[in-house]
Amino acid sequence: MFEHDDDIVERMIRQLRRPVSLDPGLAARVMGEIAAPAHPGIGRTWPWLAAAAAVLGAVVIAHPWTRGSGTSTAAFQFVLVAPQAASVSLVGDFNDWDPARSPMRTAQGVWATVVPLAPGRYRYAFLVNGVEWRADPGAPAAKDDEFDTPSSVVTVGGRGS
Amino acid sequence: MGIDRVETGDAELVRRVRAGDIGAYGALVARYRDRLGRYAVHMIGDREDAEEALQDSFVRAYRSLERCYDPARFGAWLYGILVNRCRTTGARAARRRRLFVHDAEALNDASHPDAMERLEWTDAVERALARLAPEYREVFLLKHVEELEYEQIAQLTGDGISALKMRVKRAREQLQKFLREAEHV
Repeated sequence: MFEHDDDIVERMIRQLRRPVSLDPGLAARVMGEIAAPAHPGIGRTWPWLAAAAAVLGAVVIAHPWTRGSGTSTAAFQFVLVAPQAASVSLVGDFNDWDPARSPMRTAQGVWATVVPLAPGRYRYAFLVNGVEWRADPGAPAAKDDEFDTPSSVVTVGGRGS
Repeated sequence: MGIDRVETGDAELVRRVRAGDIGAYGALVARYRDRLGRYAVHMIGDREDAEEALQDSFVRAYRSLERCYDPARFGAWLYGILVNRCRTTGARAARRRRLFVHDAEALNDASHPDAMERLEWTDAVERALARLAPEYREVFLLKHVEELEYEQIAQLTGDGISALKMRVKRAREQLQKFLREAEHV
């Protein structure tokens, strides 16, 4: 049945080089875990801002900045893990629910885009393949959506709030 | 093959992650998931433990990304984290329950003589690997399955190249012996 000497080990090596099947949800779990908390040096949080994050989708602060003397805004990155999607857009109160204004870029099924948000409460959703509305699985659901489609809420706190 | 194959892309992705683009890290996860997953499964011997080690390594790497001093060699740096993580898991759990996972199709087809032989061979390979001491299994997998150079393995493990070569030689001798024993069962 088996060869001898080095041949048998070489055959074993060929066997071990074959791909191993892994849980397809592993990448999503990694992305959810790194999106959730504050990370030293990356995605730092500021006391005057709040963000929601979770398992298959997330909102994280990318960069803070201030415009003018009164209104502070920060860049928020929205992330959705959707390996099968051909296109994803971010729609919400902040862009008049216009899919053309916040198309998301993909890297291996992880879709992301950054939008500037001033302090306030915003409803939003992901539009997948131009037809499918998805709430952010990691953010609170919006309970006051008048259009009866799934949507989520992100709250950006003001200084001292 | 090595681990520097995609260095330009890695450096750019690491730069984007550091700039706050979390999606770029998804690309790094996708790029290294299968290869590192294979190492973890063979090293630990249990798929669930291996996936947990892999997930933990990716998260740990992200949270320590500012300590990746050469982003072009992100893959090598990530390997180092996983190798250490597998050592911890191996000491804790691999001896306790080392499971042998067979291809589902092979199991279904086991009534055919060829399939039966394949299954026996897969079993023999996994059992032989499990019998190797962890320090032999580690360097054998990195050298022959993951195809790293001795210099790269030395950087990952902190061991000297001559010691690594000796371990690979001993691992091959022991594997030959274990596989021959399986032949006569």
